[in-house]
Amino acid sequence: MKSKLYILFLALTCLTSACKKLDIAPKNVIQDPDVFSTPGGIDIYMARSYSELPIEDFRYSPERGFNNFWIISPFSALTGEALSRDQTRAMPENFNTDPNNESNFWAMSYKLIRETNYFIEILPKYSANFTEAQVNNWTGEARFLRAATYFALVKRYGGVPIVEKVLSYPEQTVEELNTPRASEEAVYDLVAADLDFAIAKMSESSVAGRANKYVAAAFKSRAMLFAGSIAKYNKVNLFDGDKNLVCGIPAAKANTYYKASYDASMLLDGKYSLYKKAWAANDQEAQYQNFVNLFFDVASPENIFVKQYNYPNTVHGYDAYNVPRQLMGGNGYSSELNPTLDYVELFDGFPKNLDGTIKTLDANGNYVLYNNTLDIFSSAEPRLRATVILPGDVMKGESIEIRRGIYTGSPAGGIKKFVAENSTSNYPTTNIVQSANANQTPYKLPNGQLMNPAGKSGVFTAEGTAAVSGFSIRKYLDPNMPTSEVLENHSDQTWIELRYAEVLLNRAEAAFELNSSGLGGVNYQQQAFTDINQIRERAGAALMGSPVDLTIDVIRKERRKEMGFENKIWWDLKRWRILDKEQNGKIYRTLMPFYVADAGKYILDARLDERNVRYTFDPRWYYEQIPAGEIAKSNKIIQNPGY
Amino acid sequence: MKKIILYLSFCMLIAGSSSCKKYDNYPEPAETLTGSVTDIASGKGVQTETGSGTRVKLLELSWNDTPTPYYFYSEQDGSFKNTKIFKGNYKISVEGPFVPLVQNNASGTVTVDNSQVLNVAGTSHVDFKVEPFLNVEWVGEPVYNAMAGTVTASFKFSRGTANPAYQLDITDAYLFESPFPYVGNNNKDDRYSNQVSYSGASGSALLGQTINITTKDKLPAKTTLYFRVGARVAYGLNYYNYTEVKQIIIP
Repeated sequence: MKSKLYILFLALTCLTSACKKLDIAPKNVIQDPDVFSTPGGIDIYMARSYSELPIEDFRYSPERGFNNFWIISPFSALTGEALSRDQTRAMPENFNTDPNNESNFWAMSYKLIRETNYFIEILPKYSANFTEAQVNNWTGEARFLRAATYFALVKRYGGVPIVEKVLSYPEQTVEELNTPRASEEAVYDLVAADLDFAIAKMSESSVAGRANKYVAAAFKSRAMLFAGSIAKYNKVNLFDGDKNLVCGIPAAKANTYYKASYDASMLLDGKYSLYKKAWAANDQEAQYQNFVNLFFDVASPENIFVKQYNYPNTVHGYDAYNVPRQLMGGNGYSSELNPTLDYVELFDGFPKNLDGTIKTLDANGNYVLYNNTLDIFSSAEPRLRATVILPGDVMKGESIEIRRGIYTGSPAGGIKKFVAENSTSNYPTTNIVQSANANQTPYKLPNGQLMNPAGKSGVFTAEGTAAVSGFSIRKYLDPNMPTSEVLENHSDQTWIELRYAEVLLNRAEAAFELNSSGLGGVNYQQQAFTDINQIRERAGAALMGSPVDLTIDVIRKERRKEMGFENKIWWDLKRWRILDKEQNGKIYRTLMPFYVADAGKYILDARLDERNVRYTFDPRWYYEQIPAGEIAKSNKIIQNPGY
Repeated sequence: MKKIILYLSFCMLIAGSSSCKKYDNYPEPAETLTGSVTDIASGKGVQTETGSGTRVKLLELSWNDTPTPYYFYSEQDGSFKNTKIFKGNYKISVEGPFVPLVQNNASGTVTVDNSQVLNVAGTSHVDFKVEPFLNVEWVGEPVYNAMAGTVTASFKFSRGTANPAYQLDITDAYLFESPFPYVGNNNKDDRYSNQVSYSGASGSALLGQTINITTKDKLPAKTTLYFRVGARVAYGLNYYNYTEVKQIIIP
């Protein structure tokens, strides 16, 4: 009996077990076939990669890194474009140096590079599910993303390890995986090769926020211009033990890269155009409105590559942090970005001294009296008005009142400058009433009316939440957002990462550099001239008369005016290798309006920043410090010079 | 009861036998390295700033050929002393406002290498004779202008190297002022320190001539201040060459 039981047991175990596979993929983890079998799956994969793409947008600051909501130390306050209460020194990207910080850029980038490499390797296995055009397009897209990431790395660190395959551990040994830094040139060449692939294989159009052939071309014009500038202007070289030039590019390569930038920008010719929907010739008001609208029209023919936001799912706080003080929202933030007088003086259309500084004194050295603070700017370049809120100009239907104080002395015989030129000392207290903060005590004017010493948007002596430079930012501020909605994490305007104006500026610069190094074949000088004049015409600025007026400074100045406050200028100043010369104990200038009580008029005082904020750019920062943790991980990663 | 004793003895066994006493199996760094960076021409120490000027680079060769470098900064006068160095075989060089000790050609081949290889044990000493980019020297004593409350410094600079590759344009000269003797570009009082910039070759035209720079604003009274002049060429990390520090008692 017992033996029968054993037989039955044996039969049951031997015959009925092992019918199902035990080695199955976990059901709660999404598998490759789930993702790579439908276009929807690919979209999801791409959406994640795009969200990690290092774009210095509304959610980036050099203090806190990418995808951070708290942008109170704005990027533009590192370059002399703006002054900010919370950014009071020059610095490199700070989020980068903390070895334990998950947001350290180096580690973050290689995650995204792995994702793109994985995509490139896996997609062909599932190509039967798609058309050839789709596979080509997506492969190109992945290589665009990889190029953008390597470009973000190389512009920070110089040469970095090149990883073009998915690395597997423990299948591969540590020795195999330990990759040294490639030369800076090799990384730029990889960026170029990836973008060339994308240009060749991708379709001509895409949904907003995703790359296509022309996005890749525009991006290439940017990246190659960087490479050319490094080759031409960089002075710091670093070789590793194997004679790889990890910092620096041989000067002989400059023209190759400038030419690559130039050629890439030509691909966009006729495909995009400058935004001129509300523009009208000889109409400053229309040109002003057109430049404001440029940043809000989703159908703008100028937008090449954008990053979209959508309340309440993906949001930022640009409006809440940057509106003028008098339009402050419920979170109590405002006025983080206050354009410097140095930035305003780049533009034309108001009285200037011979050295290009604003002229607010008469021939005797006395202040000129104005009826209101905006008078001097009445015929200023429309692009300036659209970028900067000038004191007294209108925003959201309100006149933005910026006033430093009230002068109570007599205007008879003229008012002399309050503080000496190039002095950072505070204003004297005799004959000047001022306010420490927004809780003001009104001053009784001679005509009996009451007036607050400072304007509604500042400037206060002890509170930084005000127009500390005498100006406030307008670019990208939503002109229609009600103050009740001006809150953190409530804005959702689109970030324009690449617009056609930049491509024109890239081309003008590359063309000029090629022309000045004597390269013929094309009339580069004429091309640069046409491009710059296109930008100027749209901006409402005076056109250049002749190509021979072009200098490298004209082109760079145009770039600073056009691209100001778009988080690009810091990189430009770095690749031109001029930031250490510009910021050497530099104090930026401000414009302080005063009301003259006895005259009922305004005076404007141009002076150095009263807060005495100094900027000194350390030349080491041209190549950022590689996080110490990354150096410690590998004996093959060498640190950049000086750290 | 028996159980408790068992547990207790188990705990004691764990506590008593684990975690030993030694924290490390390698002797602590106890060797001393001293040295100096001197001008090959004058034999004087090459003046620099503390904490961001001349620094010593140590490569410990005992374990591999490409070690992670260990750096420390020299004193203001170019001398250095570090009493916490691991015993070992080091390749030592210095980086600062002078012709680099290790030079590459354009293809990355090391053409000049004046590093020194040294077994550091006990107290070891190493001297580097270098060619500073510039020699910056006082001309007379800095003068206090009682009326204006400023200090005027007279100085001159000259080339410290005959190597034409390092005879670059002088970008600026700077009179540094600080209430502390460790005065320099990284430790200066911006209200009074004064910088004079030279564009193009205009600085080179002043080589060997006496130059005056005056502090910017009225200095505070009844205090002791320290002054120093720096000048630099645009090379590498734009280090300054300095004069020695002078102390002035402001009445």
